[in-house]
Amino acid sequence: MTYDKNSKKIVDIIQNFARKHSLWILAYGTGCGAIEVPPTMTSRYDGERFGLRGAATPRQADVLLITGYLATKTLKRVIRTYEQMQSPKYVIGFGSCTINGGMYWDSYNTIKALDRYLPVDVYINGCMPRPESVISGFIKLQQLISEGKANGAEKYQKNLEWYRENQKKVIHNWKMPDYNW
Amino acid sequence: MHIQDCTENTCVDQIQKIFHTAEVEIQRKKRVKVKLRLDLVPLFLSYARDYLNFKHLAHISCVDWIEENEFELIFMLWSYEASLMIMVKTRVNREKPEFITLSHLWPQAETYEREIHEMYGINFKGNERLGEFILEDWEGVPPMRRDFDTIKYSKENFYQRPGREDAQDVRETISKHSGEEVPDFAKEFSIRRIEE
Ligand code: SF4
Repeated sequence: MTYDKNSKKIVDIIQNFARKHSLWILAYGTGCGAIEVPPTMTSRYDGERFGLRGAATPRQADVLLITGYLATKTLKRVIRTYEQMQSPKYVIGFGSCTINGGMYWDSYNTIKALDRYLPVDVYINGCMPRPESVISGFIKLQQLISEGKANGAEKYQKNLEWYRENQKKVIHNWKMPDYNW
Repeated sequence: MHIQDCTENTCVDQIQKIFHTAEVEIQRKKRVKVKLRLDLVPLFLSYARDYLNFKHLAHISCVDWIEENEFELIFMLWSYEASLMIMVKTRVNREKPEFITLSHLWPQAETYEREIHEMYGINFKGNERLGEFILEDWEGVPPMRRDFDTIKYSKENFYQRPGREDAQDVRETISKHSGEEVPDFAKEFSIRRIEE
């Protein structure tokens, strides 16, 4: 299925409309930024206004929030989690650690550019981003979804070899199941 | 013989009476520092636990004295009765870093030893759970040793997105953009670690 504007079908438009208003976030905090998720979801900022909700398991979730630095050990779990999620699925990179390493740029154990290992749809800048920017990131994601541009999962599927190569470079002992796509 | 109201001074006297080679010093209020030979440490710790009532092992930590070719192990003991902490310091040879486990005295020692084993490579004989702890699939020099080059390692292994270099010294970057003059004394301090 291509998301070319001309070939966009009415079904896609309806699908994307539905998807963008019900984003289930996998409750999996990786770095310190996860502490900004509770205020985003609770009464003050009330993320549920935008259709954001927590999901308990990867198979029920749509959005994987990478909330900060990823140790190589965590990366392995994150990759596995991501591959278990069902389409449509989106990744949000949260905080400067996911963008360029942030304050962990010289660490022996954390990756510095998330999009080499997982397809990132939206990056949210900041160390750590406040709930306002988190929400604006989600609104950006909703925009991309309704335009049919949030196709990270497809990118991942098509360029799996490139991603795998990068992943295996930092995860030395690769013992993971191969999911069929 | 229990010393119920052990103060810093009585504690120092007591230790010196029994361990003649120990260098004991009151570091500050409520802190006593004891330097000991390696082979006396297990003895001293069980003495401190059973007779001086330092019942709680708060922490074990390690320092790499690479210039002296030694590791320093530090044991922190706490006494609830006297609200007193003693720090027991000892040196281990860096070439063959070995010590015995303390898990028979304090079960929590096992966890600290596992961490020190992973981060510094010190072997605690008798501890059966040494081995992979927090790091996963780590090969090579233990990462907290000072001869491990963290920056080099992270440069070789993790992709660094370009664009950070110019922000190493924020002041310089801003002055480049805005034409502001950087005073001479400030130029010296510009850090250029990425290019090193
Ligand atoms: S960007 Fe800042 S807040 Fe976020 S994980 Fe990194 S150091 Fe922590």
